[in-house]
Amino acid sequence: MSTPFAAAVLSSSVLSGTSLLYATLGELVGERAGIVNLGLEGIMLIGAAAGFAATSFAGNPYLGIAAAALAGMAGNLLLGYVVIGRGANQLAAGLALLFFGFGASTLIGRPFMGAIVTGLPRLALSELGAFDLLVWLALPAALLLWCLIFRTRWGLALRAVGEDPAVAFAAGRRPGQLQYQALALGGLLGGIGGAHLSLALAMTWDEGMTAGRGFIAIALVIFAKWNPLWAVAGALVFGAAEALQLQLQARGAYVSPFLMTMIPYLLTLTILVFWGWSRRSAAPAALGRNFFGVE
Amino acid sequence: MPRDLALALRSPAALAVQHRVPRAVAIALASLAIFAVLLLAAGKDPFRAYRDTLLYVFGNAYGFSELLVRMTPLLLTAVAVALPARLGLINVGGEGQLYMGAWLATAGALGCPDLPAWLLLPLMTAFGFAGGAIWALLPGLLRAAKLVNETISTLLLNYVAPLIVSFFIFGPWRSAESASYPQSPAFVEAARLPSFFGTRIHLGLIYGLACLALYGLVMSRTRWGLEMRAIGGNAEASLRLGIPVAGYVIAVMAIAGGIAGAAGMAEVSAIQGRLVAGLSPGYGFMGFLVAWLAGGSAAGILAMAFLFALFSSVGDILQITQGVPYAVVNLLMAVMLFIVLGQRRPSRSGA
Amino acid sequence: MTRRRLLILAGLLLFAAEPARAEATLTVGAIYVGSVNDYGYNRAMKDGLTAMKEAVPGITLLEAENVPETAEAERIMEGMIQQGAKLIFATSFGHQQFAFNLAKKHPDVVFEHAGGWMQAANFGNFFAATQAAWYPMGVAAGKMTKSNTLGFVAGVPIGFIIGDVNAFALGARSVNPKAEVRVVVTGSWADKAKEAEAANALIDQGADVITMHVDSPATVIQVAESRGVYSIGFQSIEARALAPKGWLTGLGFTWGPFMTATAKSVIAGSFKPAMVRQGLGEGMLAVAPFGNAVPEETRGLVLAAVDKIAKGYNPFTGPLSDNTGAVRLKEGEALGNDKMGDFDWYVAGVIGKAK
Repeated sequence: MSTPFAAAVLSSSVLSGTSLLYATLGELVGERAGIVNLGLEGIMLIGAAAGFAATSFAGNPYLGIAAAALAGMAGNLLLGYVVIGRGANQLAAGLALLFFGFGASTLIGRPFMGAIVTGLPRLALSELGAFDLLVWLALPAALLLWCLIFRTRWGLALRAVGEDPAVAFAAGRRPGQLQYQALALGGLLGGIGGAHLSLALAMTWDEGMTAGRGFIAIALVIFAKWNPLWAVAGALVFGAAEALQLQLQARGAYVSPFLMTMIPYLLTLTILVFWGWSRRSAAPAALGRNFFGVE
Repeated sequence: MPRDLALALRSPAALAVQHRVPRAVAIALASLAIFAVLLLAAGKDPFRAYRDTLLYVFGNAYGFSELLVRMTPLLLTAVAVALPARLGLINVGGEGQLYMGAWLATAGALGCPDLPAWLLLPLMTAFGFAGGAIWALLPGLLRAAKLVNETISTLLLNYVAPLIVSFFIFGPWRSAESASYPQSPAFVEAARLPSFFGTRIHLGLIYGLACLALYGLVMSRTRWGLEMRAIGGNAEASLRLGIPVAGYVIAVMAIAGGIAGAAGMAEVSAIQGRLVAGLSPGYGFMGFLVAWLAGGSAAGILAMAFLFALFSSVGDILQITQGVPYAVVNLLMAVMLFIVLGQRRPSRSGA
Repeated sequence: MTRRRLLILAGLLLFAAEPARAEATLTVGAIYVGSVNDYGYNRAMKDGLTAMKEAVPGITLLEAENVPETAEAERIMEGMIQQGAKLIFATSFGHQQFAFNLAKKHPDVVFEHAGGWMQAANFGNFFAATQAAWYPMGVAAGKMTKSNTLGFVAGVPIGFIIGDVNAFALGARSVNPKAEVRVVVTGSWADKAKEAEAANALIDQGADVITMHVDSPATVIQVAESRGVYSIGFQSIEARALAPKGWLTGLGFTWGPFMTATAKSVIAGSFKPAMVRQGLGEGMLAVAPFGNAVPEETRGLVLAAVDKIAKGYNPFTGPLSDNTGAVRLKEGEALGNDKMGDFDWYVAGVIGKAK
């Protein structure tokens, strides 16, 4: 029995976009605090590998998620130490983390390659379909993050730090501490994003399996205007780009997968040009210490 | 010693080298030490690996030649980052520019297979340069018009370029001869950059060294270099002094992209012999790190590119002799980067 | 210390450090495009090499996994030659050009490439003739499907793989004329996330039997199992461990005998390059055990088809039309083994575009 096309595409997009969403949310939190993490891909890889390793070792995929979250957090804290504690260049530090992630994930995942694990089970929690836990929690996570950033004092302080750390400091906040907290949360989410790939989607570990999703997430943060709710829409759009072309193939219609995958990036660039034109920038002013935004 | 030599040894450049070299060596050694600990923890033998690498790279013509082969694209992509950095611009788009250079050079090779080598190769080089230049021109224009920051635009375009290449090798340029495996047809002999000494060292190395020398010269001895440094120091003031900042932004981004594009042309012409999907194992990003570690100096770029290539060789050896996946060598590079990053230094422009 | 002395010292060190090497009869190098723990292509290659190592005393095996199908491969193989390898197995399709380049440079080293067509005095090519072997797989699928939709996840869309799909479809329709095969191409030999998505997409389109030609069947089979559909394996018969409920049957490579014979010929100095294509029943391909879900009658049909193929039946015999209706093979025409890489069309009953 075949599902209607739209439903199938939606289902695929959701499945595809979930890991993207978590990673985007993770990057978003850090960037709201003024820190751009180009090494998100590395964090996702570490999360995927650690999650898979832990699941294989302990036999429980939920433990795997926890392990992935912790590993991602550790990675991001490393970035934090170098950037906040040592004042290093954010881009270079991010790329260093990227390399670190490739290497560490390979080392962690290698002994477990080919292991058969019970992946995250699909739960039919509503009649929308049967998805794994992380999919069900994705939207709530985005909502929670939105509340956290826009409706709590912590979030207000965070945004202040992201706009102007000096002013925030003068107002009695501790920018460094807030940035560490943001990075910890971000790493947690990024690691979970990676885990969804290895524990739910592919149910295996392979070197470099994130295939650039970390970078897509970085673009998504911009697409989402640093707002968790828009991030959900963005993750669906980016997820749909891949899902759509595979679903179309399964139906016998051929669309170039490469052209389809290009669209979200070009879309993001177009949106940025539009913002620049209308002088609207939603970016935290001190993001990357004046890399972003236009001088 | 002769007075000129004594004076030269006291020049700022020479002092900088005397200062930096021991420090750089110390950093490299520290990184290798930490990586050795990681390898030991994973049950492997780092000392055998290091010894084998040294033998391979310095005791062996092929090993040394492969080191140079690996260095070549890094020289070019590093200059592609260092040049705009002088203006205070950040170009992380080396990957994409490399791919577009390879793509346009392929168009040249496939479109003019009957030309003799002495015409075809310069043509392909020009095309490669043009491909990368166009790809960086858009971010340059956007930045000059104050619409979009170049860090983000070059980053986004990084992902579009390999997709364009894939589209062509799966589609219009798909070679029918190899069971329709997605790759372009093989380049004719005339379209292959010549190699030397029976190894894979190719003319691209000359491109790289020439670019590097030119870069060093322009920065230190020409008016352009001076103006660029002025812009990098204070764009507002330079504008008021009459320096055409926007013009520099556009021109420099285009030239930088072109240099990265030339790297793509060299890879596709000398090494691969056709357009394929996995053209670059991250040369663009590595070039960024090389340029950053080198502080933008030409000699530094040479040294750092060499070091990265050396570390890559460690990865090869580990893979062949101890069954360690090559990807683990990324840890070595990361360790070195973190050591350098972890040193507290006063913030300076471009940092 | 002069450079010369340094080199001599280095040579002595190298010599001193590897005394065991002097006793090896043959050093064999092998490069894999992925990980050997993939329950698939690379695993089958590894199993074959292990069998070779056990059968021939004194073999030293150098291996490298995750060797990309780019010029990197050349570097790795050269490294192995430097370590003394005299026989190199380049196990993935895309390694061909690079192995061939090295073969020209090293006339004293023998190269065996899997799946291509190039040949030279020291370069041979081997693979199993997989296409016809998919016919019995199609028979199994055609009998077991209830929705009449079969799903095929294809990796890199080369002619050989299109041929696999075609044979699968022909086999399925020989027992079930209503069966259709839907193909989704991932574009890569090993992109697990895409494979999962492709499998899901096919199941969403109604496929209740899924199979694949990608390097590792693991992901596709696991997705099928998690969604309760049948699966047919490929590359390695060990893959049946992944689908206790849904496994029907599968194909696996058995490279051991060929590799052993090649190693022996290299040691004896009697190596002759050849384009080796062995089909079902000739030793390179094995049919996996049936899963519990397959009833006796179907097993009989499948085994009969296997027998038919082994005895030389060629499913690609005219009259044959493609899926747009155009006639591709007239009455009496047939496509031989050497034409298997040229496929750029799907047979009727396959939904998809080959070009």
